[in-house]
Order: sequence, then structure tokens, then C-alpha cells
Amino acid sequence: MEQVLTILIADDNPSDRILLKAILSQFGHNVISAVDGQDAIDKFDPHTIQLVCLDIKMPHKDGWEAALEIQRIAGDVFVPIVFLSGVTDPIALSNCLRIGGIDFISKPYSPALITAKLNAIVRLLVMQKTLEEQRDAMSLYNEQLLNEQDVAKVVYENITNSNCLKDPALSTIHYGTHTFNGDVILAAYKPNGGMHILLGDFTGHGLSAAIGALPLADIFFDWTKKGFLMRQIIPEINARLKGILPSNMFCSAAFIDIKVNNKSIEVWNGGLPDLLFLPQNAGKPVRFTSKNLPLGVLSADAFECQIEPMSFAPGDRLMAFSDGVYEALDLSGQMFCRSILNPLYLGEIDAEHSVNWLVQQLEQEGVLENPHDDISCLSVRLDTNIGIDSSEHEESRGHDEAPADFSFEYVLNADSLRNTDPLPYVLQILTTVPGLSSFSSQVFMILSELYSNALEHGVLKLSSDKKSSSDGFSLYYEERERRLANLRDGYVKISVKVTSDNNNRSLMLYVEDSGSGFDFQRVNYDISNTELLYNRGLALLDQLCSKLEFTKGGSAVTAHYHWQVGLAS
Amino acid sequence: MVESFFDKKTECLTILVKGRFDYSCHKMFKETFTAVSKVKSYEINLAEVSYLDSSALGMLLLLRDHAGAEKAQIRLVHVNSAVIDILKIANFHRLFDITE
Repeated sequence: MEQVLTILIADDNPSDRILLKAILSQFGHNVISAVDGQDAIDKFDPHTIQLVCLDIKMPHKDGWEAALEIQRIAGDVFVPIVFLSGVTDPIALSNCLRIGGIDFISKPYSPALITAKLNAIVRLLVMQKTLEEQRDAMSLYNEQLLNEQDVAKVVYENITNSNCLKDPALSTIHYGTHTFNGDVILAAYKPNGGMHILLGDFTGHGLSAAIGALPLADIFFDWTKKGFLMRQIIPEINARLKGILPSNMFCSAAFIDIKVNNKSIEVWNGGLPDLLFLPQNAGKPVRFTSKNLPLGVLSADAFECQIEPMSFAPGDRLMAFSDGVYEALDLSGQMFCRSILNPLYLGEIDAEHSVNWLVQQLEQEGVLENPHDDISCLSVRLDTNIGIDSSEHEESRGHDEAPADFSFEYVLNADSLRNTDPLPYVLQILTTVPGLSSFSSQVFMILSELYSNALEHGVLKLSSDKKSSSDGFSLYYEERERRLANLRDGYVKISVKVTSDNNNRSLMLYVEDSGSGFDFQRVNYDISNTELLYNRGLALLDQLCSKLEFTKGGSAVTAHYHWQVGLAS
Repeated sequence: MVESFFDKKTECLTILVKGRFDYSCHKMFKETFTAVSKVKSYEINLAEVSYLDSSALGMLLLLRDHAGAEKAQIRLVHVNSAVIDILKIANFHRLFDITE
């Protein structure tokens, strides 16, 4: 371990000073001499001097005073100090070590002892230098990492926040333990009104957890916008996550579909604590227990989608939270799910203030100061106006004037009725029509209303009377699933015709089913009559369309929709 | 803490996890099942697990994959009620044979 050091020695006794300098120089070290404590301080430079030797008793500041001053100048740089002493008093010597000296050399000098001590000091210096280099490398690396994370965070937030979380119906809380949050809350308006909401919790925390959120958000927003249904989007997300995530990573999630047309929600829960449906006028909440494996665990063919429907009255709320809330520890060390959350489960907390109440509990129990897991919670105030006027505002009108003139027919027989949802595809073709994309939400609403009437009442022969009570509501959907699964015969024909006449454009949607029709003369088009859900749908269509015509005894219906181009926006 | 025992006769690998079953066990847990070959079945003893988090669920999935996914024979035994609660929320009873 040969190393040349630059050594500062300070001794007021000239003969001792010259002797020490001679010994040190002999080993090849550079020696700078000082005649007293103040001189040593003046000559000290932490960047060139690696070792300081100070006599204890000197004029103009003694060795101890000089040592303290030199340490102050050195700051972060480690420069060992060795005291030179003719005294043998143990208290004086231990004082040297107490104020930061690493060793002392007794006079008279013994070259052998000095050599041994210098070697020890060199080893210490080498070790110190290695540590400093490692420390600097680490802090540089850490700084780079944080920089990169900041950039990635911007991208991440742009992708996961391009949604409608600011809707007044939604309240959310979101606390991450790292720069990146492994929890995501996504919300998007559906083209036919209503909203899709997803709360997800990826395995682990930080960047590795957040990375899976990108494809998740991508599919969620894209497919919702295109009009796909919850039961089509969930398997797609599952398949994509299964394909790209390592096998020990997955996403516990809840997916909520708010359907404003028939005042109902559908909930899919895969691995999250129970979602709570809180009725407006208090009472015990209805719990949506996890009935599915989390997203990204099962392969596409093994994946099942267990969805629960529920009807709501305006003002009811639905609440969901990640296990960071459920498993948070209160001040006594109990998990929230066994202590703090009890009043919520018992229906003792006012639905309207449930999120505020939860934040208060998290604060009181000290969870927010020191969270062990990412914490998120969402609550949505259910109502029939969610997502109704939202999409039109963003679209510009009156720019596309190229005339369109085409028609097509799309017939779905039993097998296809069971396995496909034709609406996104039909809508996709229709939105290619210049000008019509501005009205896509209305068109989609007409189309989906006509199609579900044809399928449910025509082909599957379900009676909508069942939907009137909330129990009947879930029974209705169970029955729908059952009949659809057993469907062997039947068809729905969708015919579309788009024509242009100067600035007037028209869309004709014709939907025919294999059912026996219904008594269309008795349809009540009064939209204020909210008693009847089925009629309510038709009343809505009647308002949107310029004309609604029934033929073939009610088993076929034609909706005429008109719009104009070339108008100033 | 992770301990393991391999019974050559029955070709069953028993893995015993103690205390908190979380990311800190990741390396040890993975090593216990990658170190042994020719394992026919697995028994994960969770009697002394006080808490289990989502990365532990991930480790169980990793083991399941390693053991042949759908064909894997993995039993989670002596599972206490707190842990069963977590496994149930994740619907893991559909992937593993779980007993108290």
C-alpha cells in the first residue's frame, strides 16, 4: 500500500520539527512545516493535505485549538489529525482523541513506530477514499434516477389522467408511497352517456407497479370511447396484462359501469376489498365482494367475468378503495377493516360525506403521515345526468361538408348474437361520415337502445315489467344471460342508410328482430313519465330522432336522424 | 423467514414461511423452489405467517407458474383467518388448494 502523502506538521520546537520532517521525507512523503498552531491553520488546505500532525503545546493556538479549526475548514473532506506529544498524561492524551484526533505519536520519536502508524493511516485513507467515491457515485446515480423518474412521471400522469376524474359526481383520494403510485383511478364518459370507472392496485409499489398502468389506461380509454362494453373491455385488459407482466405481477381492480338510461350500475370486482353501495337515506350498504381473480393472472381462455348489476336512485353512492385503506393500521395496531371501518360497513356514516369521513380517519390514525401502501379511494354520486352533455362540448361542428351516400346491412344470427357486440363496429363506420362524428353520442344512444330492445324483448322475449323493482332488476339480467347462453334461433338485422341532399344529411337506422313484435300503438312517449323503464327508452329516442316508425307488428323499427352541415359553429 | 424440506420419497417440497410474508422473502422463497428439481407437489405451510401482502400473492403465482400452472399441485396449509381473508379477496382459492 505505497502511497505518497502530503503531510502538514506543526511543532514550535525546531529540532523536533526537523527530525519528524526528515523521517517522513525519508519514506517519500511531501512535508509542509508550520511553526505554531496559527501557522498550521494558515497553511492548511483540505484539497492538498491528506494528514496533519500537531504538537499539543504550541504558542499562538495550541494543538487542540488548531485541530478544531482545521476540522472546521476541512468540512466534508476527511483529513486525519495525529497529535505529537512529549507528555504522557492519560487525560491530556485522551483529550486528543476526544476532539477528533485519530492517534498520537509520543516523543522522543521512534522511526519504527512512526512507520507502523503511517501505514495504518494510509490504509484508513484508502478506505475513506473508496467510501467517498462510492458515496459520490451513489448520489449521482440517485440524482439521475430521480430526474428520469420525474420525466417518466409526467408521461405517466398524462396517460392516466386524460380522463374525467374532475366530474362533480366523483370524489377521490390518492396517496402514493413513492414518486409513482401503484394505484390507478380512471374514469371516462361513454359515448351513449354514463361513465366507466376503474380503480386498480398493482402488485408492489413504485415504478415497477406503475408500469402496468400504461397499457391498462390505454385500453380503458380507447375502448370506452369506441363504445365497447365493460364485459368486453375487462377480458381485453386481462389478456394484455397477462401477456406483458411477469407472472408475479397482477392488478387487483374494480370496474364500474354507470348506465344512466336505466338507472343502474354494473360492478366487476377482482381482488379489491368489498365495494360499498351506500343508499342515500342511510341504511346498511350493499357490498360487492370480489368474485374474480385480479387482472393479469389467468390466461384469456380461463378468464371469467362475473359482473353484478344493481339499480340506483339519484343520490345513492358507490364507494371503492384499495387494500392500502383496508389494511392500514390504526394507532392501536389493528387493521382498519377490523376496527375503524366498522361504522361504514354498518351504515352509520352518511353516504354524502363518506370520503371526507375516511380521510379524517386516515389522518387521525396517522396513516397518511406514514403510509405503508399506496392509498386510494373513490366515491361516485350516482345520477342520471352523468356523462350526458359532456362529449358534445369538445367537438367542433360545421367543418366537414363532403357528402356521404351509402348503405349496409348487418345481420346477426344466434351464434353471433351470443358472442359479439355489433355496436362498436357499426358506430365506427358511422363516425367516418363527415359531420356525423360530432353527433356520435346521440347516434350511439339511438343505436344501442334499438339493438337492446330488439335483442332483449324481441329475440330473447324478456318482459321489462321485471325491471321495475331492484330485485327484479338483477333477476332480469340473470335471465338475460341465461337465455342468451341458450339461444339457438333468432336474428337481429341492422340496416343503415346515409344520404346527402345539399346541406341536409340523413341517417336511417332500421332494426328488425325475429321476435313477435309488440303493441306499439300503446307506447307512451311522455318522457316525464318515469314509471316505465321500457317506454322511457323509446320516449328518449322519440326526442332524439325526427321520426320513429314501427313496422311488421312492432318487430321492426326505423329511426330517422337528420343533421345539417355548413352551419356556423 | 423461509425454511424448506424436501421429502424424496413422496417428492413433496414443504415450504415454511414465518412472520411477515412480503417482498423481503422474495429471494429466499424463489431459491427454495428453484433449488430442488423433480418436485411432484408443494405444501406451503403458512401457520406462522402474521401478514401477507400483494407481493407474496405474486410469489405464490410465480411458484404456480414454475410448477406447471394449471397442472401445479400446490397446497396452502394451516392458513390462519387473517391470511385466508386476503387470499379470498384475491380469489386465490380458485388457483390453490387452501386449508386452515
